[in-house]
Amino acid sequence: MKSSTNQPVSNAPQDLGAKDPVVPVWLIVVCFLLLYWGAVYFDERGGWFSTQVYTPYVSTEQLNTIAAMQGPPDPRVLGAQVYGRTCIACHQGNAMGTPGTFPPLAGSDWVNEKEAGRMIRIVLHGFGGPGLVVKGQPFSTASVMTAFGSPPLVGLTDEEIAAVITYVRGNTEWGNHAAPVTPEQVKAIRDKTSSHSQSYTPAEIMTVNPAD
Amino acid sequence: MRHGPLVFLAAFFALSASWFGFVLTPQVQLGRSVQETNSVMKAELYPNDRPGNARQGLEIYRANGCVYCHSQQVQQNGMLVNVVLTDAGKNTMAVADLLNEEHLGNFSGPSVGAGLPKTILTNASIDVATVLAKNVKTAGGVTQLRLVPVGPDIERGWGTRLTVAQDFVADATALPGSLRVGPDLANEGGRHRDLNWQYVHLYNPGAVTPKSPMPAYKFLFEQKKIGKQASPDALQLTGELKPAAGYEIVPKAEAKALVAYLVSLNSDTPLFEAPLTPPAPAKSTNAPAK
Repeated sequence: MKSSTNQPVSNAPQDLGAKDPVVPVWLIVVCFLLLYWGAVYFDERGGWFSTQVYTPYVSTEQLNTIAAMQGPPDPRVLGAQVYGRTCIACHQGNAMGTPGTFPPLAGSDWVNEKEAGRMIRIVLHGFGGPGLVVKGQPFSTASVMTAFGSPPLVGLTDEEIAAVITYVRGNTEWGNHAAPVTPEQVKAIRDKTSSHSQSYTPAEIMTVNPAD
Repeated sequence: MRHGPLVFLAAFFALSASWFGFVLTPQVQLGRSVQETNSVMKAELYPNDRPGNARQGLEIYRANGCVYCHSQQVQQNGMLVNVVLTDAGKNTMAVADLLNEEHLGNFSGPSVGAGLPKTILTNASIDVATVLAKNVKTAGGVTQLRLVPVGPDIERGWGTRLTVAQDFVADATALPGSLRVGPDLANEGGRHRDLNWQYVHLYNPGAVTPKSPMPAYKFLFEQKKIGKQASPDALQLTGELKPAAGYEIVPKAEAKALVAYLVSLNSDTPLFEAPLTPPAPAKSTNAPAK
């Protein structure tokens, strides 16, 4: 018993002859392969956290490729879309407007003029004021149409203005049968009236030659 | 507590990491997002601010809890691409050979150039379509892609493309919703532009959509005695809903604002991050001058 008092008592497990556990090499290799696959997958489809990449698209490069190959939009579609976003709030989906406040575009004598000079000016610079009569009905002076030709509010391009005017003027569903308008016509009038900062009044627009 | 400061630091680190990930990063990426130039309409700003009282309508929409039953996010599973040949170029043989090799038809040289534009590949994946378009370009031809987003929501007619963050930029409060007791409203303005339809639907949903589980929002309307002439925005009601003779149902300001908001929901504009080729209208609206 003497020896047991001299030696420290140990509760540690005895070495039973087993080797230290080692991580097998194949597991390390598999881990690295998974990591590699994950990195490649993220690189290809993660879009690098871009706010412009949503499923099912995978990268901004892909979106750029698509955008470049799409071709120009159909002007008829463009016109309907611009109308749906810009004009519809006041002139309504059926182009009947609101009596007393917003004039109708359907069957309107203003829309169906042979030349579109006045209509282009109205869209570019806005319109409103005393004495407006459309289809025999008087309209309030309080509601003035916004200038859609330049920022800050909307800023439609020549193509868009031409498309939407063509859409409205040629919409047979609304009883309109007027000739289409080209972006060149809009550009010519935009350049000519670039110094015009106020919206047109009915009295002023009547002095404009619609063909000019 | 033996490791007080350590526990505090660990909790602080965990919370701040999630704050950086869920609050700060999205704020930096999207919070300052402004109206962006969209890729298809070259220079137009999107989205436009909601017009007039549609902005107040958003508050009515929010106050009446519409968002609890209606989502405003169209989902998209994939995209099908059609490749349209618009120009066969000078060397039509090269384009014809390419298409024949790809088993996209059996062309002799000149026949490729006849009847353009013609669709040479339908319902392909983006990768297949872009490779073909590049090959045709190399052969001297010109192609355009027609993009058709697909998904269950789009099949239901709820929209034409997926909803993205940009769609909500003009709103002070984004209301994408998460539950769909009723249909998705992301493109409601494109589906029902008729104001009377919207008013009658709010007044009594069952009148226009039978078996609708939506509650009636009659308190947004009032019954009035018809004055000198009927109000222009009086509801056109039929059957049992028709008010007594001499009376009319007119929308209150809240209903007008709400309907203006619903009609302004229109998200089928092609965007850079959500491209699509708008389908051409069924009948030509560009009638020549008469």
